[in-house]
Amino acid sequence: MASHPSSHPAPAASAGLNMDLLVGWILLAGVLLSLTLLLCGALWHRFATGTLTDNFRLAGTNLLAFVIAEVHNLFHGALRPRILISSGIAVLMITPYIRVLASMLYFLFEERNLKYTVFTLFVLSVLTYSLMLH
Amino acid sequence: MSFAALFLISVVAGFIGAMAGMGGGVVLVPVLTFFGLPIKEVIAISIVSVIATSSGAASAYVRDHITNLKVGMFLEMFTMSGAIIGAMITVVTRQRYLYIMFGLVLLISWIVMWFNHGEFVPETIPDRFSRWLELHGSYYDQAAGKTIEYSARRAYLGGPMMFGAGLIAGLLGIGAGALKVLVMDLVMGLPAKVSTTTSNLIIGVTGLAGASVYLAAGLIHPELATPIIIGIVAGAFLGTRILVRLHNRTIHQFFLFILAILAIEMLYKGIRGL
Repeated sequence: MASHPSSHPAPAASAGLNMDLLVGWILLAGVLLSLTLLLCGALWHRFATGTLTDNFRLAGTNLLAFVIAEVHNLFHGALRPRILISSGIAVLMITPYIRVLASMLYFLFEERNLKYTVFTLFVLSVLTYSLMLH
Repeated sequence: MSFAALFLISVVAGFIGAMAGMGGGVVLVPVLTFFGLPIKEVIAISIVSVIATSSGAASAYVRDHITNLKVGMFLEMFTMSGAIIGAMITVVTRQRYLYIMFGLVLLISWIVMWFNHGEFVPETIPDRFSRWLELHGSYYDQAAGKTIEYSARRAYLGGPMMFGAGLIAGLLGIGAGALKVLVMDLVMGLPAKVSTTTSNLIIGVTGLAGASVYLAAGLIHPELATPIIIGIVAGAFLGTRILVRLHNRTIHQFFLFILAILAIEMLYKGIRGL
């Protein structure tokens, strides 16, 4: 795809195009951050223990409790490679959620489209519910 | 299974998936269960990796302005609900039924892909419901060198059918992208480029809905996460790059052939009662 030099802004780019860009960057940033965390976690574990295999299990939990537990561990000096791996999974799962949240704000404030604000709100509510399951 | 073995299998799974025009999960689940990993844990980690591959692909397509966000948002309501219910079913189902269902879904989507060479017919008059949903758009087609205008039809049928696609995705830990594309192509009459790219966007949310159920059930095994997620993303990335250059029907069919073997393997396992 041709690049768009910043010195030459697209004339009257519509809000829809900006939304495409925002969604694109949210997804890309989320996936790259998640992969980086997972990779760093694995490498750290490798240097700390000499093996890549870390046998730990997430007991039935939801993402919220999971993140709180990780942050708790972090502030109590229990900084271990697995926090990076757990965070990598959490970031990956949060990525589509943030994308839907951004879409909802866009439909609500930019496009003022009630229909699609309600649709996105529904998706967001059910996703929030599913993240609270335990 | 060692880190390196899991990583290599995932690279190959992502690669074959991309070459066959499907996601990595479709290959990952049969291969890992072949090596003796429990199918429910494999399905759980597969659906997490599906979020990574689909979001990675979607980010590029969205920035190219081909993806239709409204079509995506409308259909996500259905796929997401389906995925949650599908994942809940998997959590309580006996393993052998999961093998059989996986094999059947693989076989059916394989048959459909083999025979489906339908072309997009642009002159369709959208029904009132689809018009009310504002499911229309346009994109610039680089190959054709012009802007293509389109509008979806039969959204009242496409929505409920997407619930089924989401159910299968959540149930089996796959993106079920082929099924989603099929619904958007044939039922809703969207251009192939729009349905393929929009399906990637939808798969991210579908994957999250399924993954949160598996997380709650304690089936997500972080030990498997790193090698599988990184491997499958790398494999899919390679596969997509090579696919763009090849465009060879024979190669595509060879990879479909591999998928058929996997389908038979899963059915055999399920029927034998493992």
